[in-house]
Amino acid sequence: MANEEAIKKEISQRFGMAEESIRVARERRVFCEVGYDAFRGFLEHVCKKMGFAILCTITGQDEGETLSFMYHTARSDGTMLNIKTSVLKSDPRIKTVTDLYPVAISYERELVDLLGAAVEGLPPGKRYPLPDGWPEGQYPLRKDWKPDQLGDMAFPIKGA
Amino acid sequence: MNLFQKIIRWARIKSPWIIHFNTGACNACDIEIVASITPRFDLERFGIQLKGTPRHADVLICSGPVTRQIKDRLVRIYEQMPEPKFVIAVGTCACSGGVFHDCYNVMGGIDGAIPVDLYIPGCPARPEAIIDGVVKLLGTL
Amino acid sequence: MPNITIPIGPQHPALKEPESFIITLDGERIVDADMRLGYNHRGIEKACESRNYIQSLYLLERVCGICSHTHSTCFIQAVEELAGLEVPPRALAIRTVFAELERIHSHLLWLGVAAHEVGFDTLLMYSWRDRELVMELLASLSGNRVNYGMNKPGGVRRDLTKEQLQEIAKTASALEERTKYYIQVASAETTLIERLSGVGTVSHEDAVRLGATGPTGRASNVDQDTRRDDPYAWYHALDFKVVTDTHNDVYGRTLVRLGELMETYKMLRQLASEMPEGPIFVRAPRRIPAGEAVSRYEAPRGEDIHYVRSNGSDKPERVKVRAPTLANLQAVAKMLEDNNLADAPIVIAAIDPCFSCTDRSILIKDAAGDSSKTVSWGDLRRYSIDWYKKKGLDFSGLRI
Repeated sequence: MANEEAIKKEISQRFGMAEESIRVARERRVFCEVGYDAFRGFLEHVCKKMGFAILCTITGQDEGETLSFMYHTARSDGTMLNIKTSVLKSDPRIKTVTDLYPVAISYERELVDLLGAAVEGLPPGKRYPLPDGWPEGQYPLRKDWKPDQLGDMAFPIKGA
Repeated sequence: MNLFQKIIRWARIKSPWIIHFNTGACNACDIEIVASITPRFDLERFGIQLKGTPRHADVLICSGPVTRQIKDRLVRIYEQMPEPKFVIAVGTCACSGGVFHDCYNVMGGIDGAIPVDLYIPGCPARPEAIIDGVVKLLGTL
Repeated sequence: MPNITIPIGPQHPALKEPESFIITLDGERIVDADMRLGYNHRGIEKACESRNYIQSLYLLERVCGICSHTHSTCFIQAVEELAGLEVPPRALAIRTVFAELERIHSHLLWLGVAAHEVGFDTLLMYSWRDRELVMELLASLSGNRVNYGMNKPGGVRRDLTKEQLQEIAKTASALEERTKYYIQVASAETTLIERLSGVGTVSHEDAVRLGATGPTGRASNVDQDTRRDDPYAWYHALDFKVVTDTHNDVYGRTLVRLGELMETYKMLRQLASEMPEGPIFVRAPRRIPAGEAVSRYEAPRGEDIHYVRSNGSDKPERVKVRAPTLANLQAVAKMLEDNNLADAPIVIAAIDPCFSCTDRSILIKDAAGDSSKTVSWGDLRRYSIDWYKKKGLDFSGLRI
């Protein structure tokens, strides 16, 4: 697993992260976590200098007090570096990464719609994936959201 | 019924034209619907043609649980069809919501939005089942 | 002349899932394409959080009907990684057999649909007739033509007998003959080549930048294939080439998919003769220990990726699915630029979004003024035929 260990070494040395906080799950899978202030610099480095130029997707999660975003980046040799960062749920502002990864635009729109993140710098466009009449302030992927919060927009369940 | 009505009924049974619409399905039922038009199953031998616009169609073949976004479009397409019109719900999702029945963006079966004449269950409904269903519908006309 | 905006979708040719493309035209050239997606959003990721792993497995199988085995396998691979299970080789090989059979049915489906989009209905009928060979085979191996239900945590549910393996090899060889015929058509039939070449072009740099995956990317010489770069299931033991092409357009995508079919037949014959012996599953726990895993899979359309996070209970904490078409849709907006309106259906179909519906009448609003008129498909088609006649091409004979 020399490849993954080399990645681990480079990240921990360059960004002063403890080597134990970087997890090599198996071959070709490295997971790490970065605070949001250092995130942009970190992402630029892995994208431009370490070859992780493919963004597979962004997974947003509701972790109670914070919203976490995992950026799944990959390299042409098949290795994936999954970078997790978090912001407070009360102020979920993050900057767009579409200048580094143009394909991120759909993934960021998903974060806005489903989790209520506020992504700064997104170009104007239609929302995705929720429908047009969706009420404001309702974020389905948050843990505390239940479909009956839609009030009279909630569908009757057929056959139940 | 008088002779005129008998002629019209004969013409309708001989060749109903269908329009197919996917209301948010996983596409398995849609592929089976298109497969029933291909040489092995050949729905066209009943005089059935797949048309492009609802204004030319007698029968609306629908698949998929109705998602919130598509519900208005479905109703609009139903209204654009001229009378008399029939609706066939293909697949378990179209009948009752299927595996998605309690998902937040899914309304359930198609009969929550428009009246349905024939239900063909299956996940996906086999082309043979679709042909059987369409022939049964023709039999009731 | 003012720019005209035309919506394509949600009910339209070449669109599998209802999607809406708002196309801005200058005459017949497309200057801008705006996408409105989400018609198919069913809330599956949220639903998985309230279902246990086995229920989620069968729910995820129905994310897409054409690549059902893709989503099911990709998910279960992540779950097995979380549970630390060592899946037996025979199960991995059986999964691979189904994966490749699914690739065949998907590519033949695409071939027929693309042919339909350019008005070549004969090829639609031929290729779907051949596709029935694969569907019959899948039904006899797994019980269903689509949504095979082969996977379970720890392995597969059904075994393959020696006779079934021989049947697989025989079907692969029969289809290989038919595919050679299609390759011949694709390389010799001038109308087809003319219709598909130069359409939907994405340069290599744009394909890399916009993240195009699968045959869409490989037609622009992006040499990426998850089966080779990040092997899963039994691919490490199989001998296959990754097919790339330098045409950068829809014609290139056709050639890539046909080439992939030929590779798949070789793989199936290899699997049929080298199927490892042994059990087909290991016992899996009901509760999966806490952790997170990312699984990738080369779906017929591109790279499919699943992220699963478990929390020690029998229900997943978070499941994230990114299907390949979403990655390719960014490239579509680029591809539609500078193409003609009549090419829009085949360009959208070329990324293989799924199956096709048909048309409806269109409301054209004159952007400068307030007048609006309804134009039927027939009028639009006549308009486009006239427009092409002025350029010296006569398409009035093509039936669409």
